[in-house]
Amino acid sequence: MAVSKVLVSALAAVLASSLPAQQLPIVERTLANGMRLVMVERHDQPTIAFGWMARVGSANERPGITGLAHLFEHMMFKGSKTLGTRDARRDAELNDLQDRVQARMRAEMSLLREQQRRGAIPDMMDPRARTPRLAKLIEEYEALVREQRALVVKDEMDQIYTQAGATGINASTSQDRTFYIVGLPSNKLELWMWIESDRIANPVFREFYSERDVILEERRQTLESRPGGLVGEAFNAMTWMAHPYTWEVIGWPSDIAQVTREQANEFFATYYAPGNLTAVLVGDFDAEKAAAMAERYLGRIPAGRNPVPEVTTLEPPQPAEQRMIADVETTPSIQVEYKTVSAVHRDAAAFAALGGILGGAQVYGGRPGPGSARVPTGRLHKALVLERKVATGASAAFHGEKYGGTFALRATPGPGHTPEELEPLLHAEVERIARDGVTPGELQRFKNATQVGFYTRLETNSGIRETLAQALAVGTVQDFQEAPGRIQAVTVEDVQRVARQYLTPNARNVLITHRKAGDARPRTQNAEVK
Amino acid sequence: MNARIALALVTATALSAQAIPSRPEKLEFAPIVFRTPLARELKARLRNGIPVYLAPAGREGTPLVRVSVAWRGGAYLDPRGREGLAKLFGSQLVQGGSAALEAAQLEDRLEAMAATLTSACGETTGSLSLQVLDKDLDAGLELLLQSLTAPAFAQDRLDLAKRQARQAVSRRNDAVTSIASYQFNFLLHGEDHFASREPTSASLDALTREDLKAFHTRVLDPANLVVTVSGSFERKAMLARLDRALGALKPGPGAAAKVPPSTFARKPGIYFTAKDAPQAMVTWAMPGLRRSDPDWHAAYVMNQLLGGPGFTSRLMKTIRSNEGLTYGVYSSLGPGPYWRGDIVGRMQTKNRSVAYALRLALAEMHKLKETAAPVDELKVIQQGIIESFPSQWPGRQAIVTRFAEEALQGWPEDWWADFREKIQAVTPADVQRCARKYLDLDRLVVLVVGKAGEVLPGDPDHPGALRDVAPLPFTELPLRDPQTLQPR
Repeated sequence: MAVSKVLVSALAAVLASSLPAQQLPIVERTLANGMRLVMVERHDQPTIAFGWMARVGSANERPGITGLAHLFEHMMFKGSKTLGTRDARRDAELNDLQDRVQARMRAEMSLLREQQRRGAIPDMMDPRARTPRLAKLIEEYEALVREQRALVVKDEMDQIYTQAGATGINASTSQDRTFYIVGLPSNKLELWMWIESDRIANPVFREFYSERDVILEERRQTLESRPGGLVGEAFNAMTWMAHPYTWEVIGWPSDIAQVTREQANEFFATYYAPGNLTAVLVGDFDAEKAAAMAERYLGRIPAGRNPVPEVTTLEPPQPAEQRMIADVETTPSIQVEYKTVSAVHRDAAAFAALGGILGGAQVYGGRPGPGSARVPTGRLHKALVLERKVATGASAAFHGEKYGGTFALRATPGPGHTPEELEPLLHAEVERIARDGVTPGELQRFKNATQVGFYTRLETNSGIRETLAQALAVGTVQDFQEAPGRIQAVTVEDVQRVARQYLTPNARNVLITHRKAGDARPRTQNAEVK
Repeated sequence: MNARIALALVTATALSAQAIPSRPEKLEFAPIVFRTPLARELKARLRNGIPVYLAPAGREGTPLVRVSVAWRGGAYLDPRGREGLAKLFGSQLVQGGSAALEAAQLEDRLEAMAATLTSACGETTGSLSLQVLDKDLDAGLELLLQSLTAPAFAQDRLDLAKRQARQAVSRRNDAVTSIASYQFNFLLHGEDHFASREPTSASLDALTREDLKAFHTRVLDPANLVVTVSGSFERKAMLARLDRALGALKPGPGAAAKVPPSTFARKPGIYFTAKDAPQAMVTWAMPGLRRSDPDWHAAYVMNQLLGGPGFTSRLMKTIRSNEGLTYGVYSSLGPGPYWRGDIVGRMQTKNRSVAYALRLALAEMHKLKETAAPVDELKVIQQGIIESFPSQWPGRQAIVTRFAEEALQGWPEDWWADFREKIQAVTPADVQRCARKYLDLDRLVVLVVGKAGEVLPGDPDHPGALRDVAPLPFTELPLRDPQTLQPR
């Protein structure tokens, strides 16, 4: 009894210091065509952070068109009927002609695919495997490209923005959303309205086929060339059995190389209807005037007829532990991943707390600089890195998406130690929380650190835009405003319960990597084992 | 209710009457007045001479304060055989605890306040930075001061940092990017300059707590420090606080030694290192200029036109947009704070495309020298730099951090005041003159790291071998041993 009294007073002391949440003055409007506007006025400096989001990502794809949501993001920079060409009519004709040659090329590729299926050739994409007819079609196609290139005004939209003082002209695709962003001086509000409404209302996906090559290079750079990149892709594909989260956003290479403009057009018509779009504006403007201007510009996008198809596949419960053991050309590692809940699930905040307590709270800030920045303070780091000295790094984090999420524990064995040695230690820390729970003190620290994290993300226009977009991709403005409160409401019982309920042995996916012998193997004996 | 609907209809009609212009060029924009932030207006000095840049937040700020103490000193001070010292010093200044608090206790205190205290040290400068809620400012400053003046460099934390550093050393040959990084530094700066010297397993073995303490003594002098503060505070009270805390620092051994310039006699050429990977890393460099050079603004515009960020540059248009050979290709102009900077180009492309993509890049450079850029094309670049200038100062922390860095590097104060005017004044003739002067292909160093069997012969669709890309000597460089950095 005495012990619990001490606990209660200590709890009261830390709770007294819990931090106030900041409510942003958000203005929401819906245009007549169904497109939504989310606006935050901030008159600190003469700039505006702009963005608009289509609620579509790789989760809306299917086998055969994986990577299309992302390919699409690239195509939206290729211009419109007005921007990007000197002769819109000939440009359209050339697109048609290119499509026709590409269709004949696909017929040839089908023959090669059949040969590859029968083992007659090892790789249908290898230039040496081309049939003479395919080689001739490629020449024909490239002549059309050259003719079109003479008419193209290269990246005209980008040029107009650049000259207007734009920064960070970009877009990104996730599993659940595609987001088009730019920062502009505040006097360019109408320019943004003009360009964005033009490219949504009158898009032309010119230079479609060469952009597939850019994406294959992007895939090589960001995934295949990264040590462990391909194994990470395979592990994710093993973890998700049925849900489209099973493939990477960038897609499978054979799908990227074969996707057609027709498929892209259909995708646009289905998912880029105004009812599926939300614009986010943060900065130095008048929200009422901006809303009126948006009605005039973005309002000209015709409303879609059909509702956007839902993602209906539900990931089935995992019947057994899954395990992947791989040789990778980098430092060995272990990862234990569980499928959990979506970002807006009622247990998401408890999972965030579990991640913070095990893995260390995500406190942003400090001066950006070289080398290691913040000191990790989670239970895993304390147990595996500082106390037992068997690892050089250990972390845990909850990652919530729209249709589901993951909870992952990761560790890097120190020199002379193995991933196998660390695995039971990771499980033991999870089991300890399932058995004994967490302390009120560590939960309160997580809450305060998270609140500080909210502050730091709400300091700049672009930070607010990104945080809002993250919430809107999986939920609503209400989810954004309530996020700090949901974190504050988590109890020690909640944290213990989610650990018990979800992080069971059958639900585990374990990835163990060993260093692949290769160029990096130390010539000097045992140099890494010190 | 009806009246409101009627009013809405009238408004809607009035608005739709305003036609949307057929082209974006027809839009008109009210001018924006943006005054360049001035270092001298934010600057103060503590009683021992330490400069402080203060930027208190306006009403829209959060309850956070950031205080950073930056110093001159970094890897260029590492004694031979002790490579890695500055970097370890940087992390251990906080992570090793202080005389008053063991590392774990310090971390506990910070966590209890939801504060962060971090430290890091790079090639020429480093910093110790606090982020704290305004209500905990005094307690936070006390912890910062303890770490700054009396770090403990606990042995077990140093051992951990060394284990982590050894693993980083062992990963050097794992990716084309990390191989290119060390090989390129050796090509540009030789074997003996700090810009190419990196930790080895032997130098990490040799490093001790005593080395860290000696480095600390050498750096901790008021003549070597610059302080920045941003966030929720009142200027006068903050200055008084800092004067009590940091103004009391006694003189030590004086300002750190000057950064030694790189004087290596480079051998222009095409260099190749074999590494099996799905994509090759291509890097090239030519000597550029210092930011203090009268040519700087024209050369800056020239480089933006050639390979600046975004899609507007000629390299991006040709190599990515037209040919689909890369996800990104960029050229950057190094400001050269201590010696002439370099014009450095970078791209990744599939192995067989390397030679063709390089030929395209060189042709773009050649074109810039041969033909003056059209006024319209240049205008896009110049207006872009000028119009985006306000966004180069995205917040108070960014402003004071930039001023502190420039002060440490010895740049003239308020160099930015006439930046826009000087960019505006650049002419097509200036750009062509700079292209001829600085895109000197006789002094080009090209490094390719990729799969030999595919990189060397080139692409059958665009025939031409790597060694024939330019009339320069061709050299194969072996991988270096990751532990010793000696050639194999």
